[in-house]
Amino acid sequence: MATDIETIGMLRDSAARYAEDNYGFHQRWAVLERPEGYSPDAWRDFAELGFLALRLPEEEGGLDGDAFAVGALMEIVGARLLMEPFFASTVVGTGLLLKLGSAQQRAAYLPQLADGSLVLALADDDEPGRPCVVSGDRLQGGKIGVLHGDAAGRLLVSARDAVTGQAVVVTVAANAPGLTRQVYRLVDGRGAARFGFDDVVVERLAPESGLSAADALAVARDEAMVALCAESLGVVNSLVAATTEYLKVRKQFGRPIGSNQALQHRMVDCFLLQQEVQALTEAAQQALADDSADRSRRVAGARAYIVQAARKIANEAVQMHGGVGVTDELDISHYFRRLMVNAALCGGRDAQFSRFVDAALAA
Amino acid sequence: MMDTSNVGELRARAERLRAEVRRFYAEVMPADLREKSHRHQVLSKEDYVRWMRLLDKQGWSVAHWPEAHGGKGWSPLERFAFEDELARLGCPWVIPFGVKYVGPVIYAFGTPEQKQRFLPGIKTTEEFWAQGYSEPGAGSDLAGLRTLAERNGDHYVVNGQKVWTTYAQWADWLFCLVRTDRDDKPQSGISFLLIDMKSPGIKVVPIRTMDGYAHVNEVWLENVKVPVENLVGEEGKGWTYAKFLLKNERTAGAIVGWAWHVLDRLKQHARETIFGNQRLIDQPLMRNRIGDYALRFMALEQAAYRAVAAMCDGSENGGEASLIKIRGTELYQEVMETLVEALGPAGVAFDVEALHAAALPPLGPDDAGGILKDHFYNRAATIFGGSSEIQRNIVAKAVLGL
Repeated sequence: MATDIETIGMLRDSAARYAEDNYGFHQRWAVLERPEGYSPDAWRDFAELGFLALRLPEEEGGLDGDAFAVGALMEIVGARLLMEPFFASTVVGTGLLLKLGSAQQRAAYLPQLADGSLVLALADDDEPGRPCVVSGDRLQGGKIGVLHGDAAGRLLVSARDAVTGQAVVVTVAANAPGLTRQVYRLVDGRGAARFGFDDVVVERLAPESGLSAADALAVARDEAMVALCAESLGVVNSLVAATTEYLKVRKQFGRPIGSNQALQHRMVDCFLLQQEVQALTEAAQQALADDSADRSRRVAGARAYIVQAARKIANEAVQMHGGVGVTDELDISHYFRRLMVNAALCGGRDAQFSRFVDAALAA
Repeated sequence: MMDTSNVGELRARAERLRAEVRRFYAEVMPADLREKSHRHQVLSKEDYVRWMRLLDKQGWSVAHWPEAHGGKGWSPLERFAFEDELARLGCPWVIPFGVKYVGPVIYAFGTPEQKQRFLPGIKTTEEFWAQGYSEPGAGSDLAGLRTLAERNGDHYVVNGQKVWTTYAQWADWLFCLVRTDRDDKPQSGISFLLIDMKSPGIKVVPIRTMDGYAHVNEVWLENVKVPVENLVGEEGKGWTYAKFLLKNERTAGAIVGWAWHVLDRLKQHARETIFGNQRLIDQPLMRNRIGDYALRFMALEQAAYRAVAAMCDGSENGGEASLIKIRGTELYQEVMETLVEALGPAGVAFDVEALHAAALPPLGPDDAGGILKDHFYNRAATIFGGSSEIQRNIVAKAVLGL
């Protein structure tokens, strides 16, 4: 499965144009005020533009989008700091449902995902001391850090089977009896939630293909991380462009601060990191698209390197902007905060670095 | 995503070339040369000439030249793959002065007579070349060079001093930047001369470096007569040709290959070495360090592949060569440093004579001496060919517009 290059170009162009017209930094202020933590109008527009059906197979009205197609949109999500649950619901939630849903489950939820009426979030991180366990059709446990968990109409929940100890994935409506939801805001303005499940009746995902939940989750987590790499790339591209420009226009001591070699060299180091972020993102996308044997090393390595590189660039962007770099009114600090959230998702950097090292030093 | 079918096809060709290089290494390369290069021993001029002619026999010495001049018109991707693969295998380096540097300047700007006279000898290493660029007062600021060539009838009279001239002690010819006009602004008074090293008035003085060798030299030129037909292109345009040469130098695949090679050697050493009941590679701090190098290597490798593909499809941003140079040499140095450190006492035991005689080092694995030699030599990797600081200046100006 490979999305053709024209389709990817089309997606990229239409998303870029949409963001240009509707999602400027000042237009975005209004979105930050919304109780949903995103713009329901924009979300409907995404559905109309076909973005929300990106991952669906063609016979189910989608574009059968691969990692490159997802990346093209995620790059714009990062570059323009879009707030909508595209990553959580369209990339991760829908992606996992496509792998593990039965024909009946797919028929029930995919149309609502494609038209935007359903937001589907994966609750994957167990609350410490409260692991999620499924006995029969009952779920017990807690989940934390669920991005857009506040807006989700339905959840996918990773858990263990009480009898076999095997990984399972269940789905449940976000307002089911016995489910408690505590919503909160993230540092970048988007919403999240923590969930408690007290004997909640759930539905297991049971694909006809027989694919195990453990395997499906492993792929879904890798897909999520590669999508986050692309989001980081978008952020990094915006930060490098804005900071380079600022060095040219900001004057101190009677000349542009960018005429100082100390700053030039630091900016070049940011540029080098940006080039590496781009190359590693593409390599990780390729590894997913090829289902490469080297997937683990590539994906974990890309994620580990990019989290660190992007953070370095964001720190430098703030520093080189000086005082205005820490203000709310300039986009720099918003990119900084988006990267914080990005880095905290999917278990963080160190776990991926360890995974990379084990793969790279094996044998 | 930049992949086009054209780049895809070039990639496939580059992969086939890598396989050919590996087969050449296993089946064609003489055992003694393989052993010497495996242990990073010192190679003699005869070894290098043999090596370069071996490459020529495979059709590789000038494969990166256009077909019209006897090459194969290799794309940047093939050229990169070739150099990268040779370096990963631990082969001797492809001496660049003839085939990579002066050859392209001659076929691009030389007279028909110069092409006929020099290109065949460059291809076969019949003649050995050296590069007369740096001077005591003109290092990073090369345009400050002061070696003077004054026209006198049918020849120039050259006076001045070159420095860091690699292999001048072996060279038959020196391609040399000289000043032909003192009054003009620095870049426009420079010319490109081909100087016969047997000319009277040339003195080569070796410079001993911290590895105990003298690969580099001072070259003193005193009233050296150079026939005007050895001027390449136009008088005063030498700076343009020098820049063209640098552009030709760009696809530095060898840097990536060297970094890979030394990282691989470090991993091997860390697996084989037991320290306090534990393999070095399992000790958390060392594992973390090697893992970090492996990660940085992956970033370098992917960025380099992407950069070279961009050179093929014309989407380059101009910072590609600097990226590879900066990242590659810095990583290479750090990994080497860690390897030397991991050698422990063997990492400070050095016997230059043994290295010359291809004998074993005083302590440690067979290649410990060669590793040390390379460690010393590669401290210059961030200095020569445009220092890391100059590379950053270039990117700041040319790419970022600062």
